[in-house]
Amino acid sequence: MKKRLLSILLCTAMVATTLAGCSGSGGSAETSAEANAETDASGGGEEAASDGGYTIATVVKDMSDPWNLRHEEGVKEFAEETGLNCFVKGPSKTDSAEQIQVIENLIEQDIDALCVTPIDPEACKPVLAKAREKGIVVLTHEAEGFDECDFDLEAFNNQEYGEAMMDELAAAMGEEGKYVTMVAFLSSTSHNQWMDAAVAHQKEAYPNMELIPEERIECEDNMDTAYNKAKEIIKKYPDIKGFLGASSYDPPGAAKAIDELGMTGQIYAVGTGVPSVSGPYLESGSNPCVLCWDPALSGKAMLKLAVMILDGEKDQIKTGLDLGIEGYENLNVNGTNISGNAILVIDKDNMADYQF
Amino acid sequence: MDIKKILKRNEFYVSIIIVALALLIQIKSGQFFTSNNIMDLVRSLIVPGMMAAGLFMVIASGNIDVSFPYTAMLCMFGITKLFQVIDYQGPVVLGFLLAAVIGAFLGLINGVLAAWLKLPTLIITLGTCAIYLGFTQGVLKSSVISVLPDPLADMAAHTLFTVRSATTGLGSSMPISIVMLIGTLLVVGFIMKYTMLGRGIYAVGGDPVAAERVGFNVSAIRIFVFTFMGLIGGVTGLTQVTLSGMCQINFFDGYEMTIIAAVVLGGASIAGGSGTVFGTFLGVLLMKLISNNLILLGIPTNWSKLMTGVLIIAGVSASAYKAVLSEKRVSGNILKTGEKEAKQ
Repeated sequence: MKKRLLSILLCTAMVATTLAGCSGSGGSAETSAEANAETDASGGGEEAASDGGYTIATVVKDMSDPWNLRHEEGVKEFAEETGLNCFVKGPSKTDSAEQIQVIENLIEQDIDALCVTPIDPEACKPVLAKAREKGIVVLTHEAEGFDECDFDLEAFNNQEYGEAMMDELAAAMGEEGKYVTMVAFLSSTSHNQWMDAAVAHQKEAYPNMELIPEERIECEDNMDTAYNKAKEIIKKYPDIKGFLGASSYDPPGAAKAIDELGMTGQIYAVGTGVPSVSGPYLESGSNPCVLCWDPALSGKAMLKLAVMILDGEKDQIKTGLDLGIEGYENLNVNGTNISGNAILVIDKDNMADYQF
Repeated sequence: MDIKKILKRNEFYVSIIIVALALLIQIKSGQFFTSNNIMDLVRSLIVPGMMAAGLFMVIASGNIDVSFPYTAMLCMFGITKLFQVIDYQGPVVLGFLLAAVIGAFLGLINGVLAAWLKLPTLIITLGTCAIYLGFTQGVLKSSVISVLPDPLADMAAHTLFTVRSATTGLGSSMPISIVMLIGTLLVVGFIMKYTMLGRGIYAVGGDPVAAERVGFNVSAIRIFVFTFMGLIGGVTGLTQVTLSGMCQINFFDGYEMTIIAAVVLGGASIAGGSGTVFGTFLGVLLMKLISNNLILLGIPTNWSKLMTGVLIIAGVSASAYKAVLSEKRVSGNILKTGEKEAKQ
């Protein structure tokens, strides 16, 4: 029997450790798929650099994701407006090792600047350091506090985003009643920063609202989990009026629970979201609105900053700078960190304009 | 069945834990025995319950499969994408049949590899799970599908009946797919209890060499259990779509561990040769009872993982301890007879 117990232990340990590697190893068999996934967004191809303009590569997190396709649209638009050679490359799925490989390949080519949305900023540090050694201008996005770059651009300041979410939830709830916050994981840094800011803002500005004792629920970035947890919360607190979600699966998951339990119009779920997933619930009204930023605009803003640096105008990048792009008209620059005010609120009426 | 026999059965102890936990939740929240909460619990059992029934067969035959969540994922995206591309408008049953066929094929791959290579099935299915995941991400290029094709959306919208709690006014509906859970449990129960195949599965799990000498085709039985698991995996993938109203790539994250734990919790030995489908169902019920009622129990989010772990270990140790006791008795007897023989 000892043997048997030992085998159980070994089995579980093995499964646990190997599964962690399992999702990563899936990528190795797909180098051919990666090649297909790399697309060229510029009209003239990479040779366009010969006309004296710059060649700027943008690296996204995942080429198949609607969010990143939207990012690509912005890059294409910028290329058309300026005539520069700008193109997008990225891994075929959200896999950090594959993304680093894509960057490695790019810096071997003749590029002037690199705009990266790193999957794992820490893991990207060595390869980006290499790029900078070669004289390539490096800009990053969605990596607040990152320093192995010329600048890191964020669409907004985390605190302001949390407060904006709370303002929207308060408006939906009539500024009174019980609510709960949701994050992907208690360890997700930015999610928890947003929620901390939102709760602090509620205590200050909306005294009639009340955070229930559960405070923060984990949805594991899984809409099914968000749905089940929301259902449970509603059962325990039938008088709850609001869900505030940091993960883009929180508001739709909670809204599904609200609709199914027959509480539409009495409970509201607000938070980060994209129209492609939250669409049905924006229609039903259980998501009065969702918040995010437009990756097309942040993509353009990064390119614009890259061009400024290449033109030798780096000293002009300081607080108050206007890039001429919506939401990036009054930048806040702090060391290598730049943030805009590009919070986007999407509701039933404007959701058709944002296809991501 | 006499009381002594009942007391020996693992199902009895799991049932006690389930009843105790249910009462505790009722006392803490007053919300357990409401019609809509029971309905939600049943609903949350559908997909894990079907998967566990299939995995119980695999484990009873002395094998293990960790690839089934990925089979489910692949079929979920494969069928939904196919329906989207060809703008399919026919009966949804065809989708389930197709999912079953694809799933069974993927299971067959596991089974054939296991029968031929005679490698530990954990390693084989770990390999195939990476392939299935890679296929879903690389070839199907899928992470989220939020607008379902009509046949699936229709099935998602239709329910058997709806109950509404008198006290809170909350309503919950019974999805059509509950029929599939009941069907799967009955089929697995029938095979395991009343057919030669079922006896063969237990025999192979108990001792493959002895089973072969008695005349069971060990390879065929292995191939069968994996193919059947794949079939169930495929069907559950599509079932999850109709329950959630969308596809997301991480729906089945961590399922392999919870389902294995549920089967073992239900009294099946991980080494094979024992267990019942009823026990397996109780195991799933207990797992879901724990994971879906932590908030009602009033356990803070930071503590929920710890609580889940403790409850699983407590449950598994109870059945493992019983096995240790009975084994001691057997080996004790062997030793005694051995001593006697030595004396003679």
